[in-house]
Amino acid sequence: MRRLGKEIWKNRALYIMLLPGLVWFFIFAYMPMGGLTLAFKDFNASLGIWGSPWSGLDNFRDLFHDPAFLRSVWRTLAINIGKLIVSFPVPVALALLFNELRMRRYSKALQTVFTFPNFLSWVITSGIIINILSNSGLVNGLLQTMGFDIVNFLGSEKMFIPMLYLSEIWKTSGWSAIIYMASISGIDAEQYEAAQLDGASRFQMMMHITLPSIAPTIIVMFILASGNLMTSSFDQVFNLSNAATKNVAEVLDMYIYRITFQSSTDFSFSTAASLFRSVVNMILLLAADWGAKRMGGTGLFGGVQKGEGKREKRKARKAA
Amino acid sequence: MKREKQEKRHKRKFSKLDIAIFIILTLGAIVIIVPFWNVLVVSFATQKEYADNPLMLFPQSPTLDAYKYLFKDGKIWQGYINTFKLLIMGLPLSVFLTTTMAYGLSRPNFPGRKVIMYLVVFTMIFNGGIVPMYLVMRQLGLTGSLWAVTFSTCFSVFNMILMINYFQSIPDSLIESARLDGAGEWKILLKIILPLSKPIMATITLFYGVSIWNEWYDAMIFIRDPQKLPLQNVLRSIIQETEIATSATGSIAAMGGPQFDDGIKMAAVFLTMVPIMCFYPFLQKYFTKGIMVGAVKM
Repeated sequence: MRRLGKEIWKNRALYIMLLPGLVWFFIFAYMPMGGLTLAFKDFNASLGIWGSPWSGLDNFRDLFHDPAFLRSVWRTLAINIGKLIVSFPVPVALALLFNELRMRRYSKALQTVFTFPNFLSWVITSGIIINILSNSGLVNGLLQTMGFDIVNFLGSEKMFIPMLYLSEIWKTSGWSAIIYMASISGIDAEQYEAAQLDGASRFQMMMHITLPSIAPTIIVMFILASGNLMTSSFDQVFNLSNAATKNVAEVLDMYIYRITFQSSTDFSFSTAASLFRSVVNMILLLAADWGAKRMGGTGLFGGVQKGEGKREKRKARKAA
Repeated sequence: MKREKQEKRHKRKFSKLDIAIFIILTLGAIVIIVPFWNVLVVSFATQKEYADNPLMLFPQSPTLDAYKYLFKDGKIWQGYINTFKLLIMGLPLSVFLTTTMAYGLSRPNFPGRKVIMYLVVFTMIFNGGIVPMYLVMRQLGLTGSLWAVTFSTCFSVFNMILMINYFQSIPDSLIESARLDGAGEWKILLKIILPLSKPIMATITLFYGVSIWNEWYDAMIFIRDPQKLPLQNVLRSIIQETEIATSATGSIAAMGGPQFDDGIKMAAVFLTMVPIMCFYPFLQKYFTKGIMVGAVKM
């Protein structure tokens, strides 16, 4: 016990250093978490979070009887599973293509172009996309000159979800490709030389050396992406949807936003929805993390865990 | 023999695969560039010209009307000012909190280190959501102020992990020898660690800078007064407005004639993204480095 006190005193400068951050975490991360108890209460504005009376599981009962809630959950799942199928492979393909592109300078310039949209907000991105896809915009102008009918890209329920996929690919795939490109650059060059001696074509090398070599990275990224099955990209949906598409656009986060700020503001009810979302997300993320680690990846919090492991190893070495 | 080699090189340069890859990637780049170019074109075009020919690559009679309108209207400049306020308030705070946390947690096991680490990382996978956050902000009397936005977004655990990784890659011997010379933790951080950590500091500052620049969600939740809204929210309101011209009747008379809504919207989009556009090519390597040293060491 005295040793512990001594250790703490010895490290007092570190604790002081950590203090500002810890205060932030207490107020802006853990107090709202405590506020989640609202989900089990009947919120009364004058009594506040802590004073409002308990109501057991009433809010959850109401929640699971709300067809709009259930619909939004299924919709979120369906959209995200679609994303895993449609958008997920694009960065992989892009990385393979970039790896085969011979002109280095040109490749660098292209990479700047491809990664740039990732750094714009969805507010800006949606402005750009709405402009080019509007009924009088460039794409429809092009369709018309080629003799096709105008397509109402963003104003029809049928087109909305494909548009989510396309706009996401447009915005993020260049940036996501970087991870695979880093993985490709780590492949042993000798493998290619040996294959070349055996007369393998470049396409064969791509399929039989490059792709299998980055397969672990692909699998880990896929598992991590599955951890986000319940996370709808609120920014994207919120900015791309409009009155005409509001029915198909109501993913879980949009539902929570609507019941919180637009329809009747029953804070305990929307907190219940929010808690449901957070818990499901946490379970999915932990499962994904576990899966990614089993596949030999570093998992979600990879770096940290790894660092800790290293220290422990060093400690073990010292002890031996 | 020599000829064969030359032939081989010749073949490598012009293989069909090379051409196909070149074409695919160039087309991809065009698909990304054209929408940006179109934003610029529409913002400088007149309504009539755009309606006549949405395919134009250059406006025949470029006009600055859209920009003049935005300038007169003033909302967007107020947005700029508010976003700069957010940067001035948030950036130093974010960098300070992240650096002190990351340095503290990068030190070998002192009592409580693991617990703190778990508490911090836990917030990555679980959070209270927006309603409790809103109520906490209201309790603190911060709603309606830009501070609510700053405080709710000023810490990123992901950035902290990047930084811890970097700090841990600095040889312990440097720190130990400084400690033997009697340096305390603050002195070690300021005199030893930080001078060696310029790349990661640059990356983290940029990540925070971009996310503050792009901030709109928390501002939408916490701030009601349109005068206090940051740039992205102003842009959002401009894009969402269907009839700008009729909603600002005063300006029509001043400008003489109906406004070109799409032109104004695109001018606003351009003004909002131009800083990132100008800096990005120079900063790209820091972003790329940041993500490489980060959680994706495989």
